[in-house]
Amino acid sequence: MQKRLLAILLVIPALVMIVLFFIVPLGASVVGAFVVGDTYGLGNFSKSFELYSSDMIFTLLIVGVSTLLIGLFSIAIGGYLTLGENQRAVAVLRWLYRWPMFIPFIVVGQILRTFLAKNGLMNNILVSLGVLTPLQTVGFLDWRGIVIAFVWKQTPFVTLLVAGAMASLDRSTIEAARNLGASRLRILIEIVLPQITGTLLVGLILSFVTMMSVLSVPLMINAQSPTMLTADIAFRINAHGDYGVANALGMISLLLTAGVALIYLRQSVKDRS
Amino acid sequence: MNDQAFLKVERMSVGYGSTTVLDNLDLAIHKGEFVALLGSSGCGKTTLLRTIAGFSKPFNGSIHVANRDVTQMPPDKRGMALVFQSYALWPHMTVAQNIGYGLKLQKRSKDVIDARVNEMQNLLGLGGLGARKPAQLSGGQRQRVALGRALAIDPEILLLDEPLSNLDARIRLTVRHEIRSLQKRLGITAIHVTHDREEAMVMADRIVIMNAGRIEQQGTPEEVYNKPASPFVAAFMGAENLLSMQARVNGDQIELAEGAFNPSTVTARSGRSLASGPVQLRFRAEAARLAGSRDTASAEPGSLELRGQIASVSYPGGHWRHAVRLGTDEILVDADTAFAEGETVKVRIPAQSLFIFNAPQGSAAAPAH
Repeated sequence: MQKRLLAILLVIPALVMIVLFFIVPLGASVVGAFVVGDTYGLGNFSKSFELYSSDMIFTLLIVGVSTLLIGLFSIAIGGYLTLGENQRAVAVLRWLYRWPMFIPFIVVGQILRTFLAKNGLMNNILVSLGVLTPLQTVGFLDWRGIVIAFVWKQTPFVTLLVAGAMASLDRSTIEAARNLGASRLRILIEIVLPQITGTLLVGLILSFVTMMSVLSVPLMINAQSPTMLTADIAFRINAHGDYGVANALGMISLLLTAGVALIYLRQSVKDRS
Repeated sequence: MNDQAFLKVERMSVGYGSTTVLDNLDLAIHKGEFVALLGSSGCGKTTLLRTIAGFSKPFNGSIHVANRDVTQMPPDKRGMALVFQSYALWPHMTVAQNIGYGLKLQKRSKDVIDARVNEMQNLLGLGGLGARKPAQLSGGQRQRVALGRALAIDPEILLLDEPLSNLDARIRLTVRHEIRSLQKRLGITAIHVTHDREEAMVMADRIVIMNAGRIEQQGTPEEVYNKPASPFVAAFMGAENLLSMQARVNGDQIELAEGAFNPSTVTARSGRSLASGPVQLRFRAEAARLAGSRDTASAEPGSLELRGQIASVSYPGGHWRHAVRLGTDEILVDADTAFAEGETVKVRIPAQSLFIFNAPQGSAAAPAH
């Protein structure tokens, strides 16, 4: 009896933290999403869909495309780190690829804003090299800018997981394929990749959820319509004090991520069994 | 002999970074021969195999297969297939896909692949397991799948990197014979890396004993067992008993000087290259005979007789093993009947079981295994 009491006492601080700082705020905003004036209703949701349904699709497309590109790049980088034969190139890549991980999203947004703008650094370079004339330049400060920022920032994280999983593979499974005459690309696709799909999936899902919640990048790069849901939520609160619609939009992005998180949970259950 | 060799390694040096593992090594293997590379861990035997396979590049030297220089060729162009110690089966593919992958890479038609995979499965007793994943197989079955995957592409040379070391002791004994009879039936040339002396003896036509990156001795199992060329080989082949003595070489005779535990003995030189001076004597526990101290049967000519005391007796099975104390030294001697602890005994070692080597300069360190 004494022991049980002690166990409960030990758990209580953690439990209180979770309830106080996670469950209560979440519950409050879920409830808040249904508060319309003095009563409860679906008004906030209908308003959300009316005003922001194109932003919802925009958000999903941007994050989806980014996730896809992050997957491709991390497989390519991880694959080269694992199968590359030029030791020096492998060492340089290993040293380089992690850097963006340590740069905050807001800084990424700012860097890319000055780089990708119509008269930004990238176009200036292209013009001075004679590749483009000033009239031909195009700014990338729209959905493309956001995708570039997300991919730039999140690829190292997924690569870190993917390259780690590849490095811990039994190397002789790779050598056995080489012994039979498989090219490096085939080894990557047919031997290495199937053995690390679990890790890749987890990395991509965590990236997806992170990108869904980033506010700074859409604000810095593309604040006009259509934009991402995070920018809309900030706008509802800051400009209108409209917590109801903000909560409803929050609920909607929560549901979008929940679908992806479900895949993650099923994967981790499968890994543990 | 080198001219008709099928696989020829010449003056090859291999290493990693600045460490040289194999230095100036020569090896010739005939078509259809089963050669075992035997040595303790770190002796370079796996490096030699991996270099032959093409996974390590030699600093210098050459490798020829059927008079074709393969030194710079990628692994798959050498007509060799390697069976890995860990089997290296692809966990996401079925047994049939594992076996057929090499043929798929060669762009064979599906019918050809299916037929060959079936043939391999039947040959290796894997019938009906084609749809299983490696995780659903026993150790012995995985080993056979690895073998099937290597043999499916019909290699000229089969390389085996300790393929039995992950198997249970009992399965290992049967798989030894399976691999050996398969190799004979297919007439394939095989190189087998192992640290297990008995495995090498049972399977190989020729044993190549390696130590510290060099070939210590090569020959038939019988030769390396009965005529070890160095103290290392003698110890590795089970002659663990070690005595130090003084010897005088006189024409075809070797005279071992009288010591605290033995009378002076003259034995035949039998072609040994030996110089007068301090020598190491090595012999196997089972080669020596044990007799009571009052046993008066005269020793065979040339055999060495030692006098010692039984320190302990144990029964490892089949015979009694006695630790016999000679001053500070202890030797192991087997006998059919047990002698009592503390009893004074005579140990007789027949001339042909006595391995005599000049004591190495400096320390006389012998390998532990």
